[in-house]
Amino acid sequence: MEFNLNFGWSGSIGEVILGATNTDGGTRKRSYHIGGSSNLPFIDQKEFSESPLIAFEICDNVQYWSPIAKSACGDVINDVKDWAKTAETSYDADLVRLHLTSTRERGLRDVSFVKKVVENVLSATGLPLIIEGSNEPSIDSEVFQQCGEAGQGERLLLGTAEANRYRSIAAAALAYNHSVIAQSPIDINLAKQLNILLREIDVPHDRIVIDPYTGALGYGFEYSYSAMERIRFSGLKGDADLTMPMICSPIDTLNIKEVREADIQNQNTIAVMWEFYTGIAAAVAGAEIICIRHPKTVELLKKAFVALKTKNIYQG
Amino acid sequence: MALKALDIYKLLPKKNCKECGDPTCLTFAMKLAGGKGDIDLCPYLDENAKTVLGATTRPPIRLVKLGVGERSISVGEEFVFYRHEKTFYHQPGIFFSVSDNDTIDQIKKVTTIVRDETLTRVGVDLHFSGLAIRNESGSADPFARVISAIEEIADLPLILISDNPNALNNALVHCGTYRPLIYAADSENYKVLCEISKKHGCPLVVKASGLEKLAQLTKMCTKEGVTDLLIDPHPQTLGDFITASSTIRQLAITRMAPDLGYPVFYDASKTGQQDAAIALGIVKYASVIITDPFSTASTKAALTLRQNIYTDPQKPIQMNPGLYRIGSPNKDAPVLLTVNFSLTFFTLEGYLESTRIPCFMLIVDTEGLSVLTSVAAGKLNETLVRDSIKKFEVENEINHRKLIIPGYAAPLSGRIEEATGWKVLVGPRDAAEIGEFLIQEWKK
Ligand code: B12
Ligand code: SF4
Repeated sequence: MEFNLNFGWSGSIGEVILGATNTDGGTRKRSYHIGGSSNLPFIDQKEFSESPLIAFEICDNVQYWSPIAKSACGDVINDVKDWAKTAETSYDADLVRLHLTSTRERGLRDVSFVKKVVENVLSATGLPLIIEGSNEPSIDSEVFQQCGEAGQGERLLLGTAEANRYRSIAAAALAYNHSVIAQSPIDINLAKQLNILLREIDVPHDRIVIDPYTGALGYGFEYSYSAMERIRFSGLKGDADLTMPMICSPIDTLNIKEVREADIQNQNTIAVMWEFYTGIAAAVAGAEIICIRHPKTVELLKKAFVALKTKNIYQG
Repeated sequence: MALKALDIYKLLPKKNCKECGDPTCLTFAMKLAGGKGDIDLCPYLDENAKTVLGATTRPPIRLVKLGVGERSISVGEEFVFYRHEKTFYHQPGIFFSVSDNDTIDQIKKVTTIVRDETLTRVGVDLHFSGLAIRNESGSADPFARVISAIEEIADLPLILISDNPNALNNALVHCGTYRPLIYAADSENYKVLCEISKKHGCPLVVKASGLEKLAQLTKMCTKEGVTDLLIDPHPQTLGDFITASSTIRQLAITRMAPDLGYPVFYDASKTGQQDAAIALGIVKYASVIITDPFSTASTKAALTLRQNIYTDPQKPIQMNPGLYRIGSPNKDAPVLLTVNFSLTFFTLEGYLESTRIPCFMLIVDTEGLSVLTSVAAGKLNETLVRDSIKKFEVENEINHRKLIIPGYAAPLSGRIEEATGWKVLVGPRDAAEIGEFLIQEWKK
């Protein structure tokens, strides 16, 4: 008698391509096929799978960025190009996620600078890019248009579509051949509903990455963890509107009390551990992309993911 | 297939003798049907009943108690693969490992940390569980010496790690009545270890590479009369662990492999990536985790993750609604409105205490939802606020009629004023800024 882990899955997670190399008409040094699994994370036998990937988060206006992340990164934060380059060469991230925080300025009208920022970042790093646009519906359309155009041919991942604002981002993605992040607040039904809305305006499934919303560890992560598991479970059970890969973006992590108010000599390690424990748990629950803001977390997570994929005695 | 209570009742002796601890055979049957009973508690079952009931009524994963007294822990007795299907019940014990080659001073230091270190989150005290002592000296005396040193200063669950039966026997002289966990029986030594475990009534870990072998070994141990078992699939990599423990959990809860229906043991300290292994063990079904003593940073993250994963996803940790006092507020003291989600309550309470301004907290029943969530869900509204002010007789406690509401509840301010006739002050969004707010807005 041999024991096998058979859950009777009937579906598999769809693939999404991030980044385009010159053979595909882009300028990225690499591109990734995320998703594709037909079992629970790290259980499947697939010899080679790229996920989970680590996206290092940077921004073009550091005013509201966590002071911990800022001091851990040092001077490079003052030039988004340097920062993007450092994420690739020194932190060893798989992806760069650029938050266009300069669009958050109150009453901002002229957003023509966005195109230049995206172009600069694209030239500074060869990694595939995730771009977070504005938070303000009135400038959304213009911001995403600029991002889309600047990254034409590069297969960007654009964020973030939500139930009440997804049209302008979808339009930019469709026009310039990019993918979108679809975010819903920790609820499998809302995640599904948003994917249906996107499908109805012709965003193909292989252009969507689900963001189930990640509450920080200790501040909602218990819900996010189960929402991710449920989404993955439903995808594998064959629910076509939930078979997209997932991104985990625990944006509040470095702002929560335990991290923000930690004593100085421990603060850095606490920040790293908070990101690290969240990242491991989220990857095990099904996230294919883990977003990180502290450079030290990247290497630790990568090492753990290699060990998670290595099997000496127990094959799935 | 689970049996119904009545089917089970038919198989019981119907003596109603209460020896099982239940008042009647029927109540015992109902407990068994709920997966919460143990057939071994009825001494009068015939062989047929034992075989029929044994496989289907005991919890799919055996409940094993480690240690005695206040700090004892129980592990196992889990029913689901995903916590969203129900919940996870018995959080894994985290044990700090020490060696009998360490100095007694070192060991006492670690013991004190495990005994005393407490992380209080949302009103709950989180601790490490106990100590795992490795018999690295290879001989019996130092092992026994270390254990008696620990016993002198703490009543904590222990794990005795040794493959030397003499060393175990000597150590058990000092702690045998406190239910330490013995590590570990394999296919060679299991008879001897079962003897020792039976003699002292201690739970035992069995260890093997391969689930087939593990299942055989638990079977052999139960034949020897030891049923309080844990299993160590002896993973070599993190990938081995997640595969083995997921498989064990699945086979156990579906009762496809009852011989694997025991809590899982995981030695994270031997993985070279301790933090990753601990996080993995917590989310993926480990019941006992051994680690080297931790840094503060790892401690907080690990205990918080464990608390998160072992919180019932359907029931947020909640406070009783009511009027709470910070310090001794007088009739002019401020009243601050918030929700009954524990995390919210304790966060706000912490900041209020540090302001040293006596005040009232009016906790309304949002069924455990946070401020933003309950506003989004419509649970926090003016009617609730008005009724709560009445119910908790807030107006008797104070002379003024001013209510400070959370910044995230700002959209409700007008409606609350109308419904209550109180004046509403919108506080900051972040509770960390409450001190400054009170000084500037309240005092003036
Ligand atoms: C965990 C979570 C959930 C959990 C519930 C957890 C719980 N017990 O409340 C679940 C998964 C169930 C959930 C559900 C929903 N959620 Co929700 N959820 C969260 C999440 C990630 C964290 C909430 C949390 O725990 N915060 C921590 C506590 C401590 O915060 P807090 O109570 O606000 O308290 C702080 C302040 O308000 C202040 N404060 C508190 N009291 C007081 C009092 C005074 C006087 C003052 C001055 C200050 C103050 O101090 C605290 C610390 O600063 C947030 C995102 C976020 N970052 O907040 C989304 C979020 C709140 N949820 C959201 C939504 C939309 C929902 C749903 C409506 C979606 C749905 N699924 O239908 C449901 C509603 C629930 C329902 N229908 O039953 C949105 C709200 C959008 C909005 N801005 O209105 C958010 C912001 C996520 C998002 N970005 O989309 N959610
Ligand atoms: S011990 Fe057995 S016979 Fe006695 S009441 Fe319990 S179930 Fe009935």
